[in-house]
Amino acid sequence: MSAIPDSYFDYPLRGKGYDHDRYTARYLRDLPMFEWDGGDTLKLWVCVHLEHFPMDMPASPVKPIGGMDRPYPSVWDFSTRDYGSRVGIYRLFDVLDRYGIRATAAMNSVLATRYPTLMDDILKRDWEVAAAGVDMGHLHHSQLSEDEEAALVGESFDTLRKVSGQGVTGWHSPAHSQSAATPDLVAEAGAKYICDWINDDMPYAFKTRAGTLTQMPLSYDLSDHKIIGLQNMPIGDYEYQLGAAFDVLRDESRTRGGRILSMSLSPWAIAQPGRIGALERLLSRFMNETGVGSATGEDLRAQWVALGLDG
Amino acid sequence: MALWREPYSYDFAPYADRPRIEWPNGAQIAFWVAPNIEFYELAPPPSPTREVWYRPEPDILNYSMRDYGNRVGFDRMADVMARYGVRGSVSLNVAVCDHFPEIIERCCELEWELFSHGVYNTRYLYNMTEDQQREIIRHARETIKRASGQELDGWLSPAISNGETTQDLLAEEGIKYTLDLFHDDQPMPVKTRSSNRLVSVPYMMECNDVPVLNFKNISPRNYIEIIKMNFDRLYAEGEKSGTVMCVPLHPYLIGQPHRLSILDEALDYVTSHDKVWLATGREIAAHFEANFYDAYVDWMGPFNAEAQQ
Repeated sequence: MSAIPDSYFDYPLRGKGYDHDRYTARYLRDLPMFEWDGGDTLKLWVCVHLEHFPMDMPASPVKPIGGMDRPYPSVWDFSTRDYGSRVGIYRLFDVLDRYGIRATAAMNSVLATRYPTLMDDILKRDWEVAAAGVDMGHLHHSQLSEDEEAALVGESFDTLRKVSGQGVTGWHSPAHSQSAATPDLVAEAGAKYICDWINDDMPYAFKTRAGTLTQMPLSYDLSDHKIIGLQNMPIGDYEYQLGAAFDVLRDESRTRGGRILSMSLSPWAIAQPGRIGALERLLSRFMNETGVGSATGEDLRAQWVALGLDG
Repeated sequence: MALWREPYSYDFAPYADRPRIEWPNGAQIAFWVAPNIEFYELAPPPSPTREVWYRPEPDILNYSMRDYGNRVGFDRMADVMARYGVRGSVSLNVAVCDHFPEIIERCCELEWELFSHGVYNTRYLYNMTEDQQREIIRHARETIKRASGQELDGWLSPAISNGETTQDLLAEEGIKYTLDLFHDDQPMPVKTRSSNRLVSVPYMMECNDVPVLNFKNISPRNYIEIIKMNFDRLYAEGEKSGTVMCVPLHPYLIGQPHRLSILDEALDYVTSHDKVWLATGREIAAHFEANFYDAYVDWMGPFNAEAQQ
């Protein structure tokens, strides 16, 4: 039996607040009443993940949801995900267009050059393009050197800015995976927000060595990645959970102050023909309620910062 | 070193013809809610026994998932419990007293019990000597006393990382009840090498949101059914001899907006029944110890006389 050293009983970071200095303690209950632009109390933030899973992608140290489940060459896995970027996304465009929802497209940058038509169709809708790394075979984690990671961050932002013509101020680390340096590197690349930490339903200020980012709430528990891709739940359980979250956040938004319901969608998961109807029903209900609107991640970030509630 | 073949913490007791447990005011069931208020360290010291995190550190996905409970989930959960007059018995990583004193203040305002779930949920009892475990128990007692004025009566090993003799140490250190044993639906005497009494109080993993929602990936709409079905059976059986139902919770799970209605519906259901004692862990243990502990030891003797030769 290995001995436990005396240092195991030292708690050098035990004190008020956190054991790191990225953000400070804030209780959601302490946010004041406020409304979003246009008088909405609840904003839907629809974030569509556009992901490319190379057939030769590594399975470690972090295997993303949607990674190759079968031995190489897994045409099954590859083409099932690629389905999202050719069929699923167009089905999703139809549904979101119907409700006038402009989404944030969190894109692997390889898709911008691989499928220029897809990028055109995103820009035609005036969606926001956010950077989500290079592809799903290049996740961000602490086993990369900082130089290697900086190159990936740079490639992602450079490509997406060039192809989209947008400022590209948002960053989503694929699979919600970061190294200790990711927030610093993306801030240095000109990002204004990240959406990788899943500890809040509202934005908060996130410190980096290159200034303060806004950490935007992108729910992982309510993502189709997790519910459908990881937990293998039937679509009815997805619909139930999104509906339940909406009810609680809508009520809170009216009594406690503005809220965001994020919908983290992957065309290869939610936009299968047997699943998209659930999304339609949800959006039909959500968008017909008073005080409910939708906005992109950058819109919400800008509104949030202007409110000056970060203390 | 030989491994132990069993915990040696309890004797056999058939769930039939047991001495009748009577709860206050004729209740058939003692119902208690145990929120786990936890702090997981971003960069914990390594354990020789288990990996702490699931991804290369910093595992920001899993760290932040749990942090949600303290920033957001706790208040939502506490609001629902307060509405039904249900007090919590908090399984507390005592370092929370220092990191988030506002949470402890609210627990005290709500007259919740605080008991120990170790210092951090990322510091295990695994591989510790007995003296090291005693240090953790004493440290927990002192921290809870300092932060809340409460005595430390209950114990759930952090991340359920108990050692072979942890229950003996708990009794020797004056802990009144333990939740580390999952062998029964009623309180039971715990066998220890100490002459101090230690009571096992049921802490139902079957209704715990972590195994249900995280490990087994059960949908929230099935979780509410699980709670109701467990309650119905234990309530009915409690007519013969009082039973215990525990709903162990984690604010980072139950306090999510898509799960909050489970708690609301569960507490509405339970409190709509007459013969329910809304208790704390400490109250259940104390009532059993004062009224039924001896009767159970006497009754159980014959079942185990031979086995103990």
